[in-house]
Amino acid sequence: MEQFDTALVLSRVLTSGVVMSIEKNDRELPALERLLTKRTRRSKAILVNSRSAAVHAALTGQDIGHGDTAELPAAATGRDRAFVDWVGVTATAPADGAAPAPAFDLITLTPENAADLASAAADATAPTLVVDLTGLGFGPAAAVLTDDAGVWTRGERLKIFGAFDLRTMWTQEEAEPGLAPGVQFNYRLSPLVAACARMALAQAGTRSAEKTGDTPR
Amino acid sequence: MITDFPSSPLALPDPADLTAELAEFGGAAMIPKEVRRTIFPVITKEDVFNLLLAQRSDAAKVVDGFAEEYRAYVGARRALPTASGTSSLHLALVGAGVQPGDEVIVPAFTFIATAQAVVAAKAIPVFVDIDPLTYCMSPEAAAAAITDRARALMPVHVHGLPADVPALRALADRHGLALVEDASHAHSAKIGDRVAGSFGDAAGQSLMADKNFPLGGEGGIAFFDSDEGYDRAADYLERHGIDYGMSWVAGAFGSSQLKRLPYYDAIRARNASLLAAALRETGLFTPPHVPEGHTHAYNMYRIGLDPAAVDLGDLPVWAVKEAVHELLTAEGVPAREWQNTPIPCHLPFRERSGFGNGYPFTLNPAAVRDHAPTDFPTIVAMLESTVVLCRELRSPVEWERVSRYADAFRKVAARPDAIRKLVAEREYVRPYEKAARLG
Repeated sequence: MEQFDTALVLSRVLTSGVVMSIEKNDRELPALERLLTKRTRRSKAILVNSRSAAVHAALTGQDIGHGDTAELPAAATGRDRAFVDWVGVTATAPADGAAPAPAFDLITLTPENAADLASAAADATAPTLVVDLTGLGFGPAAAVLTDDAGVWTRGERLKIFGAFDLRTMWTQEEAEPGLAPGVQFNYRLSPLVAACARMALAQAGTRSAEKTGDTPR
Repeated sequence: MITDFPSSPLALPDPADLTAELAEFGGAAMIPKEVRRTIFPVITKEDVFNLLLAQRSDAAKVVDGFAEEYRAYVGARRALPTASGTSSLHLALVGAGVQPGDEVIVPAFTFIATAQAVVAAKAIPVFVDIDPLTYCMSPEAAAAAITDRARALMPVHVHGLPADVPALRALADRHGLALVEDASHAHSAKIGDRVAGSFGDAAGQSLMADKNFPLGGEGGIAFFDSDEGYDRAADYLERHGIDYGMSWVAGAFGSSQLKRLPYYDAIRARNASLLAAALRETGLFTPPHVPEGHTHAYNMYRIGLDPAAVDLGDLPVWAVKEAVHELLTAEGVPAREWQNTPIPCHLPFRERSGFGNGYPFTLNPAAVRDHAPTDFPTIVAMLESTVVLCRELRSPVEWERVSRYADAFRKVAARPDAIRKLVAEREYVRPYEKAARLG
């Protein structure tokens, strides 16, 4: 993304005065959710503030927790594996001769491949899709995409002041059986970072280096 | 264009408003609906410009630059910038040497992140009651909770008032425990000349955008008083693949805001002083207690109620509080409960599923308790007899607004008959009988 565009986005959000993720009037986080669900053709998005947070939400969303096992995608890095181990989940390999069936697929976006998100998402077959947005250049950011409302609910409940807590006016009492939160983290994404990531994704593939002057970030 | 500029000014205080009919019963509200919104945080042209400049810098340098500036301001030895307050607390515990299965003694009155950070460190939060004057962790209650498995005391500088650090430090030293501060409410709070965040072996602090010192959205910072503590936390992140990194966007905004923090502090202190003077006149209301030598940061302002002072001593204080809350809200004062039950009575600590299958609670079953609110009588008494202002003393809250807040308290306190009427008509319940609120 061009520096001018980033400047425009940051100025726009700052001018609105709304930079809090728990602010009812925030429009940036829902806007990024809409763009990601549209691009990936998934119905639900969980925005978080890092790749490891997204891996955590993808597992928790499927009720995979400490003491459980999960197959990790081939794209998982050593850091991803170390994190899954820290969560207490044992990584497994596909059974002999069986096709890979990872608990989540993993797409790592950069300015160079951001335009390919839709096709990469179309190729993904796991129940959840982790999209790492950090490489877009605005700091740690990621999302979990899914068509499963249960995954979304459990994943959001991993966040303190996640969508569920905000919807219920900050109470946690209305959980359905089995959906009560366990450990929770502040994995909320900043509206400023979300706005920049959205702009980068929206522009991906629409502007060539010849047009933009090939400026960094 | 969306703008944070106010749509209209607030009228100056008018003595005639004090004797007008209460808004609850059809009178004019002290703060009319159309001017109730206070935009927070303050965002200036310098913030915008600094963010634009930061684009041209290396992202890591922007974040590290912010962390170093703020570390120097606090006076801590080392600092680790993070994505949130919760993650900073987690790293503070790790840096202090807390291990899986250890017990960490925390106040049962705090934001839930304090206790969740303990669980994130795979330790067990042991909840204790608070001091009735400061609302911070009671050193006596903490002492009574120490076992062989205890590893740390984790006081919270609740609402911005430093806890009794000398007593807690002495207690920690006597038992070989670490002292880990939760300074998330306590930006610029002090004991003597020392700033919160620099008292303990380690500290965590939220810098999210609704705090006195706001970053661009979400952020936090962990402080350590030793290189070993810092190294332990940094190595932990690396070894376990945990990404708690702060965005350069947040860091750049923080560097810009830090230059105005002393101004923000002065505005809150001025507004708190003005409001305290008004509350003392009323009899019904009392301002927060501030021990000698402590500087309160007033992240929140908890106001006490003394019904007997206005001949309402025969009514349950929690019912008076509910009525007062209703009357103040109608006047346009955004008074809140901010917590209505002790933290161990919240769902995650009743169910205790943790990371899954009960971990880490399963590591130390002897430390785990099923709590009722009444296990913490001081907290229950406080929740039943206080109301809270949250952002309402901060810049940009101007003189006329805080003066009108003060007048609203005067107006309500002058109408015990109205309070009695509401208590008789409504079916109020105790705070902890309602669904547990996060904030």
